[in-house]
Amino acid sequence: MSETIVAIKGLRHTYLAGTPLAAPALRGAELTLRRGEMAALIGPSGAGKSTLVHFVNGLLRPPVQGQVWVLGQDTGDPSCDLVALRRQVGLVFQYPHQQLLERYVGDDVAYGPRQLGLTREELRRRVRWALDVVGLDFETFVDRHTFSLSGGEMRRVALAGVLALRPELLILDEATTGLDPRGRREIHALLRRLRAEEGMTILLVSNDMDEVAELADQVTVLHQGRTVWAGPPREVFAQAERLRAWGLLPPAATELAQTLARAGMPVPADVITLAEVEEALWQALQA
Amino acid sequence: MASVAGLRYLTIGQYVPGDSPIHRLDPRTKLVALALLLAAGLATAKLATNLALFLVICALVGLARLPFRYLRSSIQPALPVILVLLALQVLFYPSAHRDPAGAGRMLISWGVLRVSAGGLWAASISLLRLINLLLLFGLLTGTTPTGALTQGLEHLLRPLNALGLPGHELAFVGAIALRFVPILGESLETILQAQASRSVRQEAGTRWRLARNAQRTAALVVPLFVEAYRRAEELSWAMQARCYRGGRGRTHLRTLVFASADYLALGLAACTVAGVILLQRLPLP
Repeated sequence: MSETIVAIKGLRHTYLAGTPLAAPALRGAELTLRRGEMAALIGPSGAGKSTLVHFVNGLLRPPVQGQVWVLGQDTGDPSCDLVALRRQVGLVFQYPHQQLLERYVGDDVAYGPRQLGLTREELRRRVRWALDVVGLDFETFVDRHTFSLSGGEMRRVALAGVLALRPELLILDEATTGLDPRGRREIHALLRRLRAEEGMTILLVSNDMDEVAELADQVTVLHQGRTVWAGPPREVFAQAERLRAWGLLPPAATELAQTLARAGMPVPADVITLAEVEEALWQALQA
Repeated sequence: MASVAGLRYLTIGQYVPGDSPIHRLDPRTKLVALALLLAAGLATAKLATNLALFLVICALVGLARLPFRYLRSSIQPALPVILVLLALQVLFYPSAHRDPAGAGRMLISWGVLRVSAGGLWAASISLLRLINLLLLFGLLTGTTPTGALTQGLEHLLRPLNALGLPGHELAFVGAIALRFVPILGESLETILQAQASRSVRQEAGTRWRLARNAQRTAALVVPLFVEAYRRAEELSWAMQARCYRGGRGRTHLRTLVFASADYLALGLAACTVAGVILLQRLPLP
């Protein structure tokens, strides 16, 4: 078992506490991430996913209740260097246009690393690397206006801007929502590559259960600000009833397998990807 | 270093749901009473009258059961500006100015810096006036939902329609401006978060380090304006998509009806104005 890099326990958070507009967001959230894993955080809208992720990135700090340990630091400790922490924990926002801060793509990708005091050549190398990783050609894109990008390109540039800081932990807050199927598949391939080649730990916040089944090896379920389940995706998605109670649906593949099983086909109920359904069907038909 | 959050919950000008006598008043009553009290505050230049007005406003705030934090938050952002204005007033108070209290008696005279009792006196009156003004607006917006405010304003501006003044549109613009305060707060928060998460150092937001803050503000203003224009454009599309065509022939879910409490409130507001004018004539400081 590899090293635990994020440990959040019993976290409670209320926006604007003590005022008439107080809005409780987290009421006992837990999250554990191990180095090198691809984890997913799922839950219905308003479950507190984005709030929890902001705690991991140090955008929010623990209030009275709860502990947040990220990369060996207690972010509730006033002496904790949050800027250094944010360099190691990259957060890709849900809406890329919110993350683009400069007029030109090259400047925007360089925005983070520029604060690190790198030489010009090193900075240029990083920008080139980051654009290359997300599949954008350096020469073509470096001088493009950020406002003239398409939605998919904007998302890639936002991702490149975070990757240019070379984070150890990469968090994507619904980063494939609104992408076309091909763009989505490309991002999935990219995430797999980052994990394999760079050893990045990745946390996906997602509402797409097919995506989660496809990519994640650990799933944390958040419901009304509480962590209600944490484990491998196969275990989570096998519990159709519970999932419904949390306002979630199993992946399409699991639903298909369960329907087939009800119709009398000898298909196991705990498959989660279409490839597994295909395999199970193949075996059932051969038998 | 504070965490970067909470701006979306800016409380300036936001409605605080409640069921106090002030909440229940007709929006027109509140608008007229506000205008009367504002006029009373601005028409008098005595400490006693402004102090009396302050007490009246405090009583109204108590009656509305508005939380203290809400009102504090509506004064706080203006505080640095107010203090600078007061400092200027104290320092550049014309010593020849006639005033009943100390008649330009010098307290400190140090080169060009001269602080007179009269200057301090005038400054404290100005401070009280500004606080009254901010509290009154906080009281109005805190107890009246934006929709009701628009409707009330529209009704009050109706006589001016004959002169070609677009009452509905003016009221609507005001309402949208109020509605945009939390929206822009939210955008600002997101931009700050985007900068922070890409390792920009943002020390605790002390509003007193003006030069430093100005520099940081410049980096925020451009993305904020881009976002504001984008929002405005989206809003106009949404209005067109729902066939918005101004106030003509538009009906309301709640029609405004004056109740006896409204007449009472207007009467009391008028009495306050009369009282303030009387106090002004008395030989008080």
